Amino acid sequence: MPRPWPRAACWLSSASSSSLLIPCYGHRFNPSRRRWNSSFSADCFAQLASRPSSKHQIYQSLSTDPYVNLSIEHFLLEHAPIDSNILFLYINQPCVVIGRNQNPWLETNLRVLHNDRGSADNATTSDHDPQDAHALYVRRRSGGGAVFHDEGNLNYSVISPRTTFTRNKHAEMVVRALHHLGATNTRVNDRHDIVMSLDSATTGEQATPQPRKISGSAFKLTRHRALHHGTCLLDSPNINILGSFLRSPARDYIKAKGVESVRSPVANVSSVFADASIPFSIQDVIASIMQEFAGLYQAGPDAVRRAQRAYVHEPELYSGDDWVVGAVGEAQGYEEPEIMKGIDELRSLEWKYTQTPQFIFSTHPVDEEDPRERPALPASLPPSTRVFLRLKHGAIIESHISTSSDSEVASEQAVRLHETLKERKLHELTPPQWKEVLHAQLGAEEDSHAIEELARFITTKLGWV
Amino acid sequence: MSPIAHSLRPFASRLLAQKLPLPSVCRAAAAPASFPRGSIRCFSQSPLAQLKKYTESHEWIELADDGKTAKIGITKYAAHSLGDVVFVELPEVGLEVSAGEPVGAVESVKSASDVLSPVSGTVTQGNAVLDDKAKFINQSPEDEAWIAEIEVADVKELDALLDEKAYKETIDEE
Repeated sequence: MPRPWPRAACWLSSASSSSLLIPCYGHRFNPSRRRWNSSFSADCFAQLASRPSSKHQIYQSLSTDPYVNLSIEHFLLEHAPIDSNILFLYINQPCVVIGRNQNPWLETNLRVLHNDRGSADNATTSDHDPQDAHALYVRRRSGGGAVFHDEGNLNYSVISPRTTFTRNKHAEMVVRALHHLGATNTRVNDRHDIVMSLDSATTGEQATPQPRKISGSAFKLTRHRALHHGTCLLDSPNINILGSFLRSPARDYIKAKGVESVRSPVANVSSVFADASIPFSIQDVIASIMQEFAGLYQAGPDAVRRAQRAYVHEPELYSGDDWVVGAVGEAQGYEEPEIMKGIDELRSLEWKYTQTPQFIFSTHPVDEEDPRERPALPASLPPSTRVFLRLKHGAIIESHISTSSDSEVASEQAVRLHETLKERKLHELTPPQWKEVLHAQLGAEEDSHAIEELARFITTKLGWV
Repeated sequence: MSPIAHSLRPFASRLLAQKLPLPSVCRAAAAPASFPRGSIRCFSQSPLAQLKKYTESHEWIELADDGKTAKIGITKYAAHSLGDVVFVELPEVGLEVSAGEPVGAVESVKSASDVLSPVSGTVTQGNAVLDDKAKFINQSPEDEAWIAEIEVADVKELDALLDEKAYKETIDEE
């Protein structure tokens, strides 16, 4: 099919009939004199997105890298015109994404996630082996709780002026899109999430079943702008095991400051259509959300049509006088230095682990701070074993680890161990290092089998093994 | 601060002085209307008028009596519009910030928002009370629930910020 408009590559041609071409990255880039409704190479993404006249922007990402998608989104939050309205849709490879002020040791099952912890040399996950089937662990910049993403989960993100923003308006926009497709049992609840009510026939339960969550929301507010992004479980193949990614082996031991997730039963939107003859496709949902977004913010039909068709092409952008739409991908992320900076930050172990709010890990109840009864220690450990760690910025600032039943010996053990452990970053203490430290400091009083078991206990709870 | 901002400030204060009634302490000393400079000087030097300033992004800054350190927090308006604060990210002691850079962050109802430093300076302490009791921000945002204390790099930077009345006008517009 011939292109309806000549492709301008990274050159935005001027509206005048002269042959003057202005590179879109040039200082003299003049948006008001650009040709109407042109297609552009996606290299122009950063320029077009920050162009003052780009009031309506709709993008779909062809990348499934959560670091790339979250950083493109962050770029749009920081650099798009302050009066613009932006819709950004993306699907990530399997990953667990926690809120900005959450604790990965408490909110995720690090054992089943791709392990990027260890020495500082491991600091880049950019060489993450695509063959590694493990889901990634990601910390986002917005608030809220932990969620699971995979290829059946669509993420929608709306960036709009803060003055007209409300926490429900974009979840309601998505609900309208879902209703339009026939999922009329969806609605926004009082947590700004989208839930789906199921009839008891579907679930086999006796009483009216609890609504299932299909979408979770989180927000980031800046001086002029509000970002609302949400997940939407459309057709996740992991729907029945999703909880296992979010269940920490240390949940009985850790008490954390910061934000705790609220657990909810989940369902796929596709389950509504399981018996229906209507075919269900993620791309239909995407098109419907684009349509509703355009209705909400008065984006023109041209822009919507272009946006809805963009995914079939390579990364490519289309633009009119006051709009930009299209498909973006990894290349746009890596080529724009500001986006690359965001990717590097999200991937850094400082952001992922040391950004964690203060917390304690304790095998025994701690007065006031965490008086919960604890599960019995494994029988392989000396019954007098105690483990207590207090962490700030992911580093050990207080500890008591001992095995002796003699309180004097126990406190000597704890003092010796703390000397070695203090200020160490928890994510950098690998299982071999735990073993080494414990053998070195407890070897005088404890037999080596018990020390091995203690190392195994600690490293299991911290999600290493 | 840039020389341009320096040269603009008197102009801005002049506009401000014309728009706002002067505090009573100044009114007595004010020169005749045809000679507004005297009243401006009085206005800007009045410790009561200068102590606490605001930003359009809803932070406040209050200079201590030592004239060097200042406490920073979010305004009542901000605390109210954010809803229940569940976590406050305090800055590290020694952190150097420029005006407009984050000096902390708050989370409320799944929303993360940065707290921007109204002026440049070095963090001398974060308000540790908020570590345990984030929602204190909703109870006493402009008083005991300050977020950071900084040593102000240049006290003159405060002059360019909004006074209470000018700040109130900005929120009325929203």
